[in-house]
Amino acid sequence: MSIDRTRALRVVALVIGLLVVSFVVLGVQQFQNFLTLGAIYALIALGYTMVYGIIELINFAHGDIFMVGAFVSMWILTVPLGLSDRPIENPLELTAVLLVVVFGTMLFMGLVGAVIERFAYRPLRHAPRLAPLITAIGVSFILQNIVQAIFSPSPISVPQVFPRVKLDLLGGSIGVLNIFMVAVALLLMVALQLFVGRTRLGRAMRSTAQDREAAELMGVDINQTIAITFFIAAALAGSAGVIQGLYFGSIQFNLGFFAGLKAFTAAVLGGIGNTTGAAIGGFVIAFIEVLAAQLGFSRWSEVAVFTVLILVLVFRPSGLLGHALGERA
Amino acid sequence: MKVTNIGALGVIALVAFSACSSTPQAGGGKTIKIGTELPMSGAETANGEPTANGVKLAIKQANAKNEVPGYTLDVNVQDDAVNGAHDPQQGATNMHTLVADASVVGVVGPFNSNVAQAEIPISNAGGLTQCSPANTNTGLTYPPDSLKYRPNNPDKINYIRLAAPDSIQGPAGADYTFNDLKAKSVYILDDTETFGVGVGNSFEDQFKKDGGTVTKRDSAPKSTTDYTPLFTAAAAAKPEAVYLAGTTPTGMGLALKQGRTVAGFENIPFVGPDGIADLGPGGTTGATITVAGAGAHDVHGTVAGIHDLPAGSTFVADYTAEYGKAPGAYSAAGYACAQVIIAGIKAAVAGGKTDNAAIREAVRAGSTAAGNKFDTVVGSISFDKNGDITTPYMSFYKTDLTAEGGKGGWVYVKQQAFTDPNAQ
Repeated sequence: MSIDRTRALRVVALVIGLLVVSFVVLGVQQFQNFLTLGAIYALIALGYTMVYGIIELINFAHGDIFMVGAFVSMWILTVPLGLSDRPIENPLELTAVLLVVVFGTMLFMGLVGAVIERFAYRPLRHAPRLAPLITAIGVSFILQNIVQAIFSPSPISVPQVFPRVKLDLLGGSIGVLNIFMVAVALLLMVALQLFVGRTRLGRAMRSTAQDREAAELMGVDINQTIAITFFIAAALAGSAGVIQGLYFGSIQFNLGFFAGLKAFTAAVLGGIGNTTGAAIGGFVIAFIEVLAAQLGFSRWSEVAVFTVLILVLVFRPSGLLGHALGERA
Repeated sequence: MKVTNIGALGVIALVAFSACSSTPQAGGGKTIKIGTELPMSGAETANGEPTANGVKLAIKQANAKNEVPGYTLDVNVQDDAVNGAHDPQQGATNMHTLVADASVVGVVGPFNSNVAQAEIPISNAGGLTQCSPANTNTGLTYPPDSLKYRPNNPDKINYIRLAAPDSIQGPAGADYTFNDLKAKSVYILDDTETFGVGVGNSFEDQFKKDGGTVTKRDSAPKSTTDYTPLFTAAAAAKPEAVYLAGTTPTGMGLALKQGRTVAGFENIPFVGPDGIADLGPGGTTGATITVAGAGAHDVHGTVAGIHDLPAGSTFVADYTAEYGKAPGAYSAAGYACAQVIIAGIKAAVAGGKTDNAAIREAVRAGSTAAGNKFDTVVGSISFDKNGDITTPYMSFYKTDLTAEGGKGGWVYVKQQAFTDPNAQ
């Protein structure tokens, strides 16, 4: 573990700075919207950056994995659990439902991610770089069309099971659902950092990212490591899908396109391959979007997001936090 | 996208080919077609399908009565929805297909104003009549804007519509919000599209004229997934109502659903144009009440057409018997558009026209000819020199979530007659 102290301090300073600035600029109510949206973008961006870190593939199907996750969570809520648009007031029952939905979706999406890697990307691992990129776009279309065929192209309602209770905090009224969402996202991010930094498999991931051949010579099972990376990336996107459905209440088969594009921007913004950077990038994009809405420029919010991306690429081509070769994965 | 275009080109080629080689059938008379160009799939189902059903019913009944002797009427159905939402480019492709089909002598559609903008230049060049049951954007018929859609034949009006334009719909919604709902301030959100921006502007002007305040005006494209920050920002000025200038498939349904969760917007009335008041009951694919769920309470909307059909009309009963459900917001208008085209065909055939191209031109010229009146399901109507209906109506509806056996539905409030917008 050779963590550069000044680097770590810089990250902490950046996070605190972003939080303070956004709180002051946006006010409590919009701060809440910003954190919720940021949590979704960050969770998707993590998967982008992990996959890029390990096989240098920009997985354009990742946004659609998020979308499929949202549909799977909707399916779990409506079919096996048989729930409808009625808030569950009993906290124990609610906890049980949330655990089933979150872990069920994450597990299923993880498997989907691993299967996609096995059949769409592994056969092309030694092909020229453009080949897996095109395949990723193909996978994206396949996922969209499967969902469209099963669930129709219309917006689908997700049962609103989470009670819309609000708490008076910090001089505003904060939704319990928002707190839950941000907490889940932070928990998953911390778990990911610990997994990558402190476990055997995490070390295998980092070494594979650094030098695949050398890692293989040292006895790392490359195929297994890459499969696990895809599993985790897709599971995180799935958790973002659950959150999307619970919070926004309406999902559509083409949801993944823009979400994926913004999460990709977040990953590049933070320094692609760098997990901390991706999470911060997600929050930066959410901040820009919410600020645009606050100032009445919502029709320009996408322009603002991509302008910031261009500026960062011009002045800091490796992103806000850089590639962080040593710890990428 | 590319694949679709190539496919569509193939269709055009096929249609053109079959049109050249087809020979009139003996005995059963010649087949002549009315096209429908509407959004039929995905979130648009609640808009397009009931309208197309109105056209099909009119054709079926005309055939049963042998309305045009020697001819069998048929329909050529086109769908301009791509990925579940109306698409101007797809509309243009469909219009090329319809123009190329020589047996098509008139088209009912489109449903959406930006689709009409893409289609009118094509149908105008082909001399093909388009009767829109639902388009409301003012510039589609009003000069000088309307002239730019007819670059080839500026003097040949081929586009007529039954719906009252937004110069009536927007102000009618504003008056209703100010006088009937007694809201003195309003937050306006539009979807950045031709229709949404246009109706939003005319609503805003009239609401201010009435003495009301517009607390904030926002525009959000249909790619928006999170409307909560917009509503959170708008809550500060405490508006007493919200005007959703747009359609449910372009994000306004989602805006309604999410807006309801923001403090200050839980119980105030949401008002919208006909893009919101689709009259689809809860559970209908893509309908506003389905998309917004429990958030669809206290929603009010205008429909740019007549509600109370002239006394003695059997349309609602006939429609319900044929399709097993109540008509949609523009089913009667679709039916009436088909009647206008059928009347044109009948007059042309009676006048000795036998060639499809001649019938097509006669239908077009007759639709806006001075003094020409059409007996339709919505009454005796005529079209002015710009193609606008001379007797526009506006109907008002609101949601009732206990209606339709608890699924939720739209209930009729009132209707209002207006004078010819071009005569003012």
